[in-house]
Amino acid sequence: MSTVWGGLALGAIYALVALGYNIVFVSSNVFNFAQAQLLMLGTFIAFWGSVTLKLPTVVVFLLCAVVVGVVAVVEERTAIRLVRGTEGLLVTTVGFATLLDGLTQVIWGGQPLQVPFFGPSKVLDLLSGNVFPVELVLIGVAVVLALGFVAITRGSMLGIALLAVSEDREAALMRGINVRAVAIGAFAAAGVVAGLLGPLIGPKTFAVATLGSSLALKGFVAMAIGGFGSAPGALIGGFAVGLIESESGRYLGESYSTLMIFLALLLVLLLAPNGLFGHARERTV
Amino acid sequence: MDVPALVRRVPSWFLPLVAAVLVALFPLFGVQADVQRQIILICTLALVVSGLNLSLGYAGELALGQAAIFAGGAYVSGYLGAHGHTELLLQLLAAAVASLLIGIITGVPGLRLGSWALAMVSFFLVLLVPDILQLLKEQTGGSFGLSGIQFPTLFGLTLDQEGFYVFVAVCTALWLLMLRNLVTSRHGTAFRTLRESPVLASSLGISVFRMKLSAYAIGALPAGIAGCLFANLDHFISPDSFGFTLSVSILAASILGGSASVYGALIGAAILQLGPLESTSFQQYALVVYGLLLVLGGVLLSNGIAGILDRVRVRAQRRWLPRPRSASFQGERLPAIEGRGLQVEGAVKSFGGVQALQDVSLLAKPGQVTALIGPNGSGKTTLLNMVCGYYRLDGGTIRLGDEPLSSTPYQVARAGVARTFQTPSIPPRLTVAEAVAAGRYASQKASFLSAVLRLPGYRRARNTDVEEARRVLALVGLEDLEHEEAASLPLGTRRLLEVARSLVSRPQVLLLDEAASGLDEDEVERLAVLIRTIRDSGGTVVLVEHNFRLVLSLADHIYVLARGQILAAGSPAEIEVHPEVMTEYLGVKTPAGERLLQTAGQESADD
Repeated sequence: MSTVWGGLALGAIYALVALGYNIVFVSSNVFNFAQAQLLMLGTFIAFWGSVTLKLPTVVVFLLCAVVVGVVAVVEERTAIRLVRGTEGLLVTTVGFATLLDGLTQVIWGGQPLQVPFFGPSKVLDLLSGNVFPVELVLIGVAVVLALGFVAITRGSMLGIALLAVSEDREAALMRGINVRAVAIGAFAAAGVVAGLLGPLIGPKTFAVATLGSSLALKGFVAMAIGGFGSAPGALIGGFAVGLIESESGRYLGESYSTLMIFLALLLVLLLAPNGLFGHARERTV
Repeated sequence: MDVPALVRRVPSWFLPLVAAVLVALFPLFGVQADVQRQIILICTLALVVSGLNLSLGYAGELALGQAAIFAGGAYVSGYLGAHGHTELLLQLLAAAVASLLIGIITGVPGLRLGSWALAMVSFFLVLLVPDILQLLKEQTGGSFGLSGIQFPTLFGLTLDQEGFYVFVAVCTALWLLMLRNLVTSRHGTAFRTLRESPVLASSLGISVFRMKLSAYAIGALPAGIAGCLFANLDHFISPDSFGFTLSVSILAASILGGSASVYGALIGAAILQLGPLESTSFQQYALVVYGLLLVLGGVLLSNGIAGILDRVRVRAQRRWLPRPRSASFQGERLPAIEGRGLQVEGAVKSFGGVQALQDVSLLAKPGQVTALIGPNGSGKTTLLNMVCGYYRLDGGTIRLGDEPLSSTPYQVARAGVARTFQTPSIPPRLTVAEAVAAGRYASQKASFLSAVLRLPGYRRARNTDVEEARRVLALVGLEDLEHEEAASLPLGTRRLLEVARSLVSRPQVLLLDEAASGLDEDEVERLAVLIRTIRDSGGTVVLVEHNFRLVLSLADHIYVLARGQILAAGSPAEIEVHPEVMTEYLGVKTPAGERLLQTAGQESADD
C-alpha cells in the first residue's frame, strides 16, 4: 500500500501538469510545452523563499505565485503571441522550456535541492501503508483543482468564453470576447497555479533542473490517457501514470518504470487516441 | 557568347558536389587531424539535423527524438564493432534498419493525435535511452559506456583515420544528394502541400497519415547512419552523449540553418559545432543559449539562414538570369473527360443539435453543370464536405457512377473527385507549375526510391507532370506565370490556379466551391468560359455559388438548398421564377411567395 500512496502522490503531480496543459489548451488551443517547467520553477522559488530567504510560509506561496505568474505571462508575450502555426509554437515553447531548464541550472546548479514541507512531516499509517502528509495534500489538491476546473468551464460565463475561444477564435472575437485577454489570462492563471503548487511539489520531487522534462512527458501521458481538454481525464490519467510508475518500479525494477509508462502511452494512442474522456472533433474545411 | 544561358545550364547540384569533393579530399591537402575530426562531427550532426528537416521543415511534424535514434544507430553499430563485425557497410545497414524500426514504432502511435503528440512520443525516447541502456547492460555497458569498438573496415580493409574521414564525407554527401532528390521531386511538393494543409493534401489523393509517417521514418534514417559513424569515431560511446541537450541542439541547428532546406542542415550543424559545442566553458550556459535561440529563431527566422540565402539567390536570378519565356503549349488543351455521375441519396447530417442536412438527394450528370445554391448556412459546403469524406454521413448514400463512394478523403480524391476551396489553398514556396502538378500526385505513381535515385519511372512521371501542368495552365490562361511563386499571386489568379490543379488529374467529378467569389467581372467571364469548356468535354461539374446570375447562365440543373433541405430543383428557367426560391433566397416578394409565407406563419401559429 505504501507504493500505492507514493504512486498516487506522484500521479497527482502529473495530473497537475496535465491540468495546466488543459487550462492553456482549452483557452488558446496552444500546447504549452513549458508548462512542466513552470511547475519546476515553482519548486525552485519555494526553495529560495523558504530555505535561502527563510520567509514565512504564506509569503513563500505569494512569492511563487507572483514570480511564476509573471514568467508565464512573459512566455505568452514572447513565445506564443508572436508565433503563427503549430510547428512554430512547438519550437518556441520547447525553446522557452529549455531556457527555463538552463536558467534554473545556472542559478541553482545541477544538484537536487530539498524543499522543506511547511506542514507536519511525520509518516502516517493509512490503510496499512505509509504515507507522508505532503502526499495526501498533493492528492487532495489535484482532486480539488480538477473539480474546480470542471466547475469553471461548465458553469461560469468565463468558462464558456474559454470554450468559445478554443472552438473558434474568430467567432469568439465576433461575439465580443476579448480573445487576447482570455489567452493571456489563461497563461497567467496557469502560471499562478503552477507557482502555488511549487511549495507542495518540491518536498516530494526535490527542486532539480531535470524535473521539467520528465514532468512534461509524464504529464503529457496523463493527458493522453485522460483525453485532451478533460479535467477528470487528466486526474485519472495522472493517477494511472503514477501507479504504473511506482508499481512497475517495485515489481520489475527502477529501470522499467519509465519504459512501462511509455508502453502505456503507445497503447493508448493506438487503441483509444482520444483518451478516456476526450472526444473526436470532425475536420472542417 | 550567351553567359546567362550557360550559367543557367549548370545544374543546381553542381556547386554542392564540387564542394563535397573538395572537402572529401582535405587529407590530400594536408588538413590536420583535429580539423578532420571537427568536420566528421559536423557531418554526423548535419545528418541528424537533415532528418529532422525532412519531418519538421517539409512535412510539418516536430520530431524531438532524433537524439535517441542517433543513440540507437550508435549502439547497434558499436555492439557489432565490439564483437568483431567491423565491416562499415554492414554496420550502416544494421543502423539504418534499427532507426527505421524505431521511427515506425514511435511514428504510428505518435501520428494518431495532434502534431504535439509526435513531438512528445519521440521526445520520450530521449528520456528512455539511459534506462534501456541500463537494462541491456551486458550488451551496452550501461552507464559506463560501450568500449572496445574495433577499427572499422571497408570491404575487409581496415580504415585509418583519414580513410574514415573520407568515408564520412562521402556518406554525408550521398545522403544530402538523396535528400535533395527527394525534396525537389513531386514527393517534396506533396510534403509541402501536407504541411500547408492536410485537408488540401487529402483532396489531392495524398494519404495524410502515410505521408507523415514516411517523412518521420525516412527522417530517422540519417540519424541512425550518423550514429553508426559516431560510434566508429572514438571507438567508445556512453549515454552522456545522447541526452536532452543534444536533442535541443539538433532542433536549434535545424531552426538556425533553415528547416525547409537540404543544405541548411550543414550550415546549422557547422555553426553549432564550431561555436557553442566547441567551448567547454559554454556547457553551463548551453541550455540557456539554445532556449533563446529557439524562441528567437521561431519568432524571427522563418526559414533560417538557408532561407535567407535562397531569397538572395532567387533575386539574383531574377535580376541577372531571367528565364526566357517557354514556347506556348501546342497540344490539345482539354482532351475529352470521362465524367461520371455523382448521386447523393437521402443524405442526413447533424452537428450536435443542429440538423445541417436532412434527407438531401441530388444527381449530377456527366456533361452537365449542376449548381447548388442557397443562403449562407443552408448546408452547401457541408454537402461538398460529405462528398469529399471530411464529414461522416449520419444517413444516406453517395455514389460515383455505379459504385458507392469511399468515405476516406484521399480515396474519394483517388476515385476521381476533385475540388476547389472557398479560400484558395496553395502551399508557399512552390512555382505555379509545381502547385498545379501536385494535383497529379495520386494519379501517376512513382515511388520514393525511384525519385531518390531518379529512375526511369520517376522521370516519366515528372515529364508527364510538367506536360499536363502546362496543358491545364494553357487552358485556364496562366501559361505565362508557370515559373512564378504560386502563393503570392492575386486572389483571382489563385482561384484559376486551383481550378487548373483540380483539372490536371482529369477528374470524373469536379466540385467548385464558390469559385467566382472575389473575382472581378473579367475573371468571372473567364471562369464561365472555362466551366462551359469542361462541361462540353464531358466533365461532371458541381458548382456551389452565390452569384445567381452566373448560376443561371451556366447551370443545366439547379438545386436550391435551404435550412438543410432541398427547397427546389429544376432548370435555370424554372428556378428563376420559382416563388419559394425568390422569397427564401433572393428576398424578392411575389404574390405567390407572400401567400406561402402567410400559410407558413399560420402553420407555426397553429403549433
